[in-house]
Amino acid sequence: MDKTERVGEVIEVSTAEFVTQCYELYQPPPLGSLVKTADMPVEVYGIVYYASTGSLEPGRRPIARGKDEASEEAVYQQSPQLLKLLRTEFNTLVVGYREDGRLYHHLPSRPARIHGFVYQCHPDEVREFSESFDFLSTLISTGLPVSNEEITSAALRQMSLVQEDPRAFLVAAGKELAVLLGSDFNRLRAILRRIATA
Amino acid sequence: MSLDLSKVAAQVGEMVARLRDGSRERQRRLDYAVGVLHEKAAALDPLKKKVAASRTTWLVAGLVEGLDRKYKAAPLLAEFTVLATDGSHIDVDRHRSARCYLINIGIVLLRYGASPDAVLDSFPHLYAGDEDLVIAPAQSTGREQLIEGNLLGIKRSVDECRHLAGMAAEIGTGSLALALLDGSLVLWGLEAYPEFVTEELLTGGFLTCLDDMKKLNSSRKIALASYISYPRSADVVNVLRVALCPQDPLDTDRHCRECTQRRCEEVSGVVDRELFARVLEAGERSALFTSQSSVVRKYYGEHWINFFYLNVGDEIARVEIPQWVARDGDLLNLTHTLVIDQCQRGQGYPVALSEAHEQAVVTMVDRENFWQVVDSLMVEEHLPTPTSAKSQSKRTRWV
Repeated sequence: MDKTERVGEVIEVSTAEFVTQCYELYQPPPLGSLVKTADMPVEVYGIVYYASTGSLEPGRRPIARGKDEASEEAVYQQSPQLLKLLRTEFNTLVVGYREDGRLYHHLPSRPARIHGFVYQCHPDEVREFSESFDFLSTLISTGLPVSNEEITSAALRQMSLVQEDPRAFLVAAGKELAVLLGSDFNRLRAILRRIATA
Repeated sequence: MSLDLSKVAAQVGEMVARLRDGSRERQRRLDYAVGVLHEKAAALDPLKKKVAASRTTWLVAGLVEGLDRKYKAAPLLAEFTVLATDGSHIDVDRHRSARCYLINIGIVLLRYGASPDAVLDSFPHLYAGDEDLVIAPAQSTGREQLIEGNLLGIKRSVDECRHLAGMAAEIGTGSLALALLDGSLVLWGLEAYPEFVTEELLTGGFLTCLDDMKKLNSSRKIALASYISYPRSADVVNVLRVALCPQDPLDTDRHCRECTQRRCEEVSGVVDRELFARVLEAGERSALFTSQSSVVRKYYGEHWINFFYLNVGDEIARVEIPQWVARDGDLLNLTHTLVIDQCQRGQGYPVALSEAHEQAVVTMVDRENFWQVVDSLMVEEHLPTPTSAKSQSKRTRWV
């Protein structure tokens, strides 16, 4: 897969996060992956922390259709309109930005734009972004609908995939987390257990 | 103060009690009507002649074949396409700052088979030019007609049909398709307007689109039909009324006043859908009938409207088709099979029409937003945005 692939478009935005509607149904970037959107000259980076698929219109809930179908695929074959009536969205926590070529690991001065294109970051960009672990403090401290431990470990696992030495990367991240969560052993352990399997 | 339901509740109770008391009598009339339907079906030719020769103030279906004939749907095809359009509009509001109306047409194309696909889209069009707001006679004689209210509804039907014909023209040669409209193919309301209105909307509009769709059938099979859910028509029951009447031919203006027997009253109040609910099994369609509406007789020509009733499982629907679909066995079967299939896929209502409606619908919130956009753009251009005191009063309520 082309890692700089355009995956969707911003449909909701705020200082701390943006919501993206995927161009392809059921094709959000993996949980924890690094994505970006631009409001030139600023590129805003975010970590995917939540994805969902549902009806395009809030008042129309999908109904069960497959009772008499042989396969799940047949449900979509028999109702071709479904692909046009459902949408996949993903939420992204803003963890940094790039301006004038320089990378920052804190929030930009203003949010991204609605309809801004959203790209999945190239491995080189992910490597560059993960040279500093400053984004970890944002990941472990922001209130999210899913546990911060899940998202932090998912982000580190995703980032480790593009490192020359994934294990060394995760060990370094673990050390950084030990400093950040020194007083909260249970949370630290929860994250370390989740990245130990990577 | 909104509606005081506590004051209405007692009246609703009375209405329901009346309905309950009348239900046994209605049932008896329906039983009788079903009996007459089967009985009169046996002697088709004399009845056909009597119906054709009679003059009635109520609409009587033209007969094509035995009254109680019924047909099962042909097997479903492997590859086919269903097209549908539906419309919604924002009417002219004389209390608002700008005189204009909006028609929003929803279109749907559903392709079934090995490569399923769907197109769902909407086409809102704002009409605000002087020529858009009225229909003027070609000659200077006659008063121009404002396009609003019922006339806007008819114009919307024409737009729905135009979009449907446009979509149909894009269907590949060799395709099998059903093009569906919601409601009747008979533009009833035109009877209330002068001839030049009919000329523009029907002859130069709706029927031209029907012409276009008919011509497409030289290289593909496209059946055109309209679907009426829970129809309240009684054209076929009225055939039974004519059949029961001792007068032959019947002239209601002349005979009914002096009639004492009133045999036709034995079936009065019954509607066609109730009759065919007793006759048709799920998936079956009724015999074909023809519309005898005056607008059809006068203008429709080769598009003369035929109709049949269809048991779609949950209800009896009325399907209207032009004569060229009715007389082509393949197109007729295609219509029957695909309408049933669409209803099965759509929880009892054709899925293509239901999605076209979803594309077209203009909600109350949309209406308010639309007028806000109109007002704000006018303000930006420093144009006055006068509204009536009545409209202001409704929007700014006080004690």
